[in-house]
Amino acid sequence: MKGRIRLPSPRGTFRVWQRNATIFRKFWKTALGPNLFEPLLYLAALGLGLGAFIQEEGIQGQSYPQYIAPGLLASNAMFAASFESTFNTFVKLKIDRVYEAVITTPVNAEDVVAGEYLWAGTRAALYGTGFLAVLTALGFIFSPDALLVSSFWALLIPPLLLLVGVMFSVMGTLFTSLIGRIDLYAYYFTLVVTPLFLFSGIFFPVDDFPAPIPQIAWFTPLYHAVNACRELASGPSIGVLVDVGWMVVFTAALALVPIYFMRRRLIS
Amino acid sequence: MDTETSERLRTGQREATLEARGLRKSYAGGFEAVKGIDFRVYEGECFGFLGPNGAGKTSTMRMIYGGAEPTGGELTVVGLDIRRDERNVKRRIGVVPQENNLDEDLTVRENLLVYARYFDLPRKLAQARADELLEFVQLTDKRGAEVEQLSGGMKRRLLIARALVNDPDLVVLDEPTTGLDPQARHLVWEKLRELTGRGKTLALTTHYMEEAARLCDRLVIMEGGKVVSEGSPRSLIEQHVSPQVLEFRADRGSLDRLLPVVEETADAVENREEEVLVYTAAADALLEKVEASGIPIEHTVRRQAGLEDVFLRLTGRSLTD
Repeated sequence: MKGRIRLPSPRGTFRVWQRNATIFRKFWKTALGPNLFEPLLYLAALGLGLGAFIQEEGIQGQSYPQYIAPGLLASNAMFAASFESTFNTFVKLKIDRVYEAVITTPVNAEDVVAGEYLWAGTRAALYGTGFLAVLTALGFIFSPDALLVSSFWALLIPPLLLLVGVMFSVMGTLFTSLIGRIDLYAYYFTLVVTPLFLFSGIFFPVDDFPAPIPQIAWFTPLYHAVNACRELASGPSIGVLVDVGWMVVFTAALALVPIYFMRRRLIS
Repeated sequence: MDTETSERLRTGQREATLEARGLRKSYAGGFEAVKGIDFRVYEGECFGFLGPNGAGKTSTMRMIYGGAEPTGGELTVVGLDIRRDERNVKRRIGVVPQENNLDEDLTVRENLLVYARYFDLPRKLAQARADELLEFVQLTDKRGAEVEQLSGGMKRRLLIARALVNDPDLVVLDEPTTGLDPQARHLVWEKLRELTGRGKTLALTTHYMEEAARLCDRLVIMEGGKVVSEGSPRSLIEQHVSPQVLEFRADRGSLDRLLPVVEETADAVENREEEVLVYTAAADALLEKVEASGIPIEHTVRRQAGLEDVFLRLTGRSLTD
C-alpha cells in the first residue's frame, strides 16, 4: 500500500485549488503589483538600455525589446510557479501544517499536491495575463511600428503559461518534497532557476551557439516555454507544437514523483 | 452482577464504531510504536486512550484518521476497513489534532467554511453549520477574527468546531486539553460532555487521569505500545486497586522502617523514592497501627484511589513521567 502510486481525484484537487483561490482573492491586488513591475524592470534595463547597443537589425528580424518581451512572459511564469511550489508550499507543509489538516478530510495527500500544481499554474497564468496586457499596451503606445505583441495568437499565451506554471510547480514541488530545511531553496534557485532564466534564449538566441549548447538547451524546460511564448506573440510556426509537446510530456512524466514523496512525508 | 457483566450487557447490543484487532505500527528505522493492540469503541460512548508520552496513543490516533498506515492487524472505522476505504472513513470522522493546525490565512469562520468544502458540503448548509458550531464553542464574537488573534483555548475550541463540520459519526481527539490553562480545560471538557450527551462517539487520548475519569465511559491504559488494561474508570479502580490510598511522606530511613509495619495489613504497597503509597480497604485501622509504631512521618494524605493509582499499580510508573 505504501509504495503504491496514487492518482489524484479531480474533486479533491479542485478543493485544494479552491482553498488557495479563496486566500488569493484577499490579497491579489497587493500581490499583482511587484509581479508586473519586475519584468518591466528587465524590459527597461535590458530591452531599452542594452538594446540601444544592439545593431539596427535587432535579433531575428525583431527589435531587442520585441525579442525579449515574450521570453520575460515565460520566465515570469517560471518565477511565480517556483515561489509558489517552494517557499509557499514549504510553509503549508512544515510550518502552518495546512496539509496535515486537509488530509484528515476526504481530500487525500495526492489531491493536495495536484491542487498545488494547478494553483501554481493558475497564478502564473493570472500574472502572465496582466503582464501580457501591459506589454500589448506599451507596444501600441511607444513602438506602434514594432509592436511587442503583434499577433492574435497571443490570446493563447495565458493557457500556455498555465502549462508552464504547472511544469515549474512539479519541479519545485519535487525539490520541496525532498528537503527538510527552508534555507536549501537557495540551491534550487541558484543552480536551477537562475541558470534557466539566463540561458534559455530570453536575452540572446542559444540556437546560434556551437554544439552542444543548443542541444543542451533543448533538454531544459524554460527554453521551450520561451520559444512557445515568442512564437505566439508574433504569429506561430508549426514548430510551436514541438515546444508545447515537449512541456506536456516532461510535466506528465515527472508529475507523479513529487506526489509519491509528498505522500510519504505526510503519511507515516 | 459484577461491573464487567453489566458493561457487556450495556454495550452488547450496540454497533462498534471503531474496532482494532492486533493493530501494529512500526516506523522506518524499526521503532515499534504500537505492538499489537485490540480495542472496540461502541456507538455513543466516549472512549479513552490513557498513557504516558510514548505509549503509542498518538500513533493509534493517526492510524484511525489516515495520518499513519498500519503495519499489521486490522482497523475498522465507522464500519469500514481503513486500508481499503480511506476516503470514506475520512468523510465520516472528525479529527482534533494534538497541535493546532488551523489555516492561518483564513479567518475563524472561513476556517470552518473552507473545511466544509473539503467534505463537499453545499454552501448554504456549510454557512448554517459554521454559525451553529461557532455558537456551540462560544466563538461567535470572534467569527471574523484572524486565527493568530485567538488564545490557546479558543484555538482548541475552533479545532473542535472544525472537527464537527461534517457531522461526523466519530470524533477523534488527540490530547484535547494538553497545554491549556485550567479554565480553558474545563470549558473544553464541558463541550465534550455536551457532545457525548448528544450521542456522538468520541475517541480521545490523554495523559490526564482527571480527564479520563471525567469524560470516558470506558478506556484502555497503554504503556510501551501495548494495552495493559481495559474497562470503565470505576471498574479499573475496583479491579486493580483498593478503594483507599494512604500516602506517607518521610525520610528514607523512616520509610524503610514503615514498610514492614504496613505490608502486613495493606492490600498493596507502592514504595517510591520519597513516599510510600498504601492501598487498603481499612484505612482507619492501618493509620492507628502506623501511629502506634511511633515512626516519624512528615506528612500523611488519605484519599480515594484513582486512575493514577491503577496506572501505577499496572506499570510501576507514574503517568506524568
